[in-house]
Amino acid sequence: MRSGTGAAVTIQDPVVIIGAGHSGVAVATGLRSRGWEGGVLLIDAENGLPYERPPLSKELLKEGAPDESAVLRKEKFYADKGIARLAGVTAESIDRDGRTVLLSDGTRQAYHRLVIATGSRARPLTVPGAGLPGVRSLRTRDDALELKRLLVPGARVAIIGAGYIGLEVAAAAAAKGCEVTVLEFQDRVMSRVTSAPVSRHFEQLHGRHGVRFVFGAAVTSIDGGERAERVTVAGGTNFPADVVLAGIGVLPNEELAADAGLECRDGILVDGHGRTSNPAVYASGDVTRFTSPIDGASQRLECIQNALAQADRVAAHITGQAAAEPEIPWFWTVQHGVRLQTAGVRHPEDQAIVRGETSGGKFSVVYLREGRLAAVDTIANLADFRTAKRLIAQGARIDPALAADPGIPLTEATSGTPNHSDADLAAARS
Amino acid sequence: MSNNKLTVVDREGATHDLEWEPDQSMMEALRDNDLPVLASCGGTASCATCHVFLEQEVFDTLEDRSEDELELLVEAEGYRECGSRLSCQVGFSRDLNGVTVTLAPEE
Repeated sequence: MRSGTGAAVTIQDPVVIIGAGHSGVAVATGLRSRGWEGGVLLIDAENGLPYERPPLSKELLKEGAPDESAVLRKEKFYADKGIARLAGVTAESIDRDGRTVLLSDGTRQAYHRLVIATGSRARPLTVPGAGLPGVRSLRTRDDALELKRLLVPGARVAIIGAGYIGLEVAAAAAAKGCEVTVLEFQDRVMSRVTSAPVSRHFEQLHGRHGVRFVFGAAVTSIDGGERAERVTVAGGTNFPADVVLAGIGVLPNEELAADAGLECRDGILVDGHGRTSNPAVYASGDVTRFTSPIDGASQRLECIQNALAQADRVAAHITGQAAAEPEIPWFWTVQHGVRLQTAGVRHPEDQAIVRGETSGGKFSVVYLREGRLAAVDTIANLADFRTAKRLIAQGARIDPALAADPGIPLTEATSGTPNHSDADLAAARS
Repeated sequence: MSNNKLTVVDREGATHDLEWEPDQSMMEALRDNDLPVLASCGGTASCATCHVFLEQEVFDTLEDRSEDELELLVEAEGYRECGSRLSCQVGFSRDLNGVTVTLAPEE
């Protein structure tokens, strides 16, 4: 495919980027830092400047914290870099053959390349009463500010879902003197992303801050008159609540792409360059589904790391340049001041090995798959995080007994050499 | 407040003179001037992609590194006990006008 950076080529129409979260903004900045001289137009559904999202469920909710989240780039930066922005505007439809996109302000914008970076939205609660005032989700700055106003001392807060968002909000609410109950369908917190020892550690941490957990809780309705007043779970038990937060995952904002006939399957399907099934259309960030270059799994990743790495691949491909090597995806959450930082994507069947005493508050869990390091969770233990991330990228084999000893650096817990690994793997599979 | 001057030695050894604005961290000054600083955690001391080396006499004037920053740095490529910083943790200060920073190797 021609990418059109040759000196003789003039490109009249801009690269149009739909969505101004981390990934959309990173495509715009990446195009400029890679020398793209054509137009760049960033279309932002929200008003104001694009902003950081991780603080929305953490610092921003804190008592006395300013009602704003740091901007990704200052206004002057966009002007200096020749990145045009449209704020408060969404894309309604794509005309693939005409290479135009119809915007909510009624205008039609032509594109040289289109990048869909529409991200994801909070999965909506579908039970009766989900629409009552007081029932919230958390995705945008406006969501966060509204939630912050509701988290007042003494407020009864029911959180549905014990994932990152639910638990970060639980911590913030507890710190503000709210009475917090977390309702989780599974039997432990963060069950999708971590192992039982880490779940237990965070359950105890929250417990010490007064957060109550109810596991195996299937919410059946939210009841109340003018506002949410209680949450009812299967079996009939109900929990009084002034505020209900649903933190039950996200859905990719793929409808624009699907309506345009681009291949989607719980995410817009993209290749290693971020290309969709149409050669002039790319997608980047939370909204995409792709094959992991690390382990071949089909995945949709919800993290900053992927948002930025994919954006760089898109910018590289549009400018006809080589992209950086794939990075191991990583994730973090902070709850009650304790940082859980994860590298790699754990599978439930991985062998989990705890390094250190969980009661000490500083430990790691390494996850082995066919003897190789596949993922790590570090709790207040960033040294292990960095080392493990590197070893995961190398496909390092790990000796489980050595890895269990926190006194031995992970680099010294490796067994065999990466050179032998392919043969070992073949032998293990035969 | 006026801008600081900042001299940056990139990973190929080339130098760049740039303006460091008072409302930027050192990382933001590097990143916003197109230096290859990924800053993938957004400046929260969670990764080490903004690792730089400072001259020791400059390093010595700064406040101590936090535990998080130090843990990340110790494991980073080319760590220097008296010189390595995560540039996202270095705030603007008049005292840093005219200093030279060197981008640490990529992982």
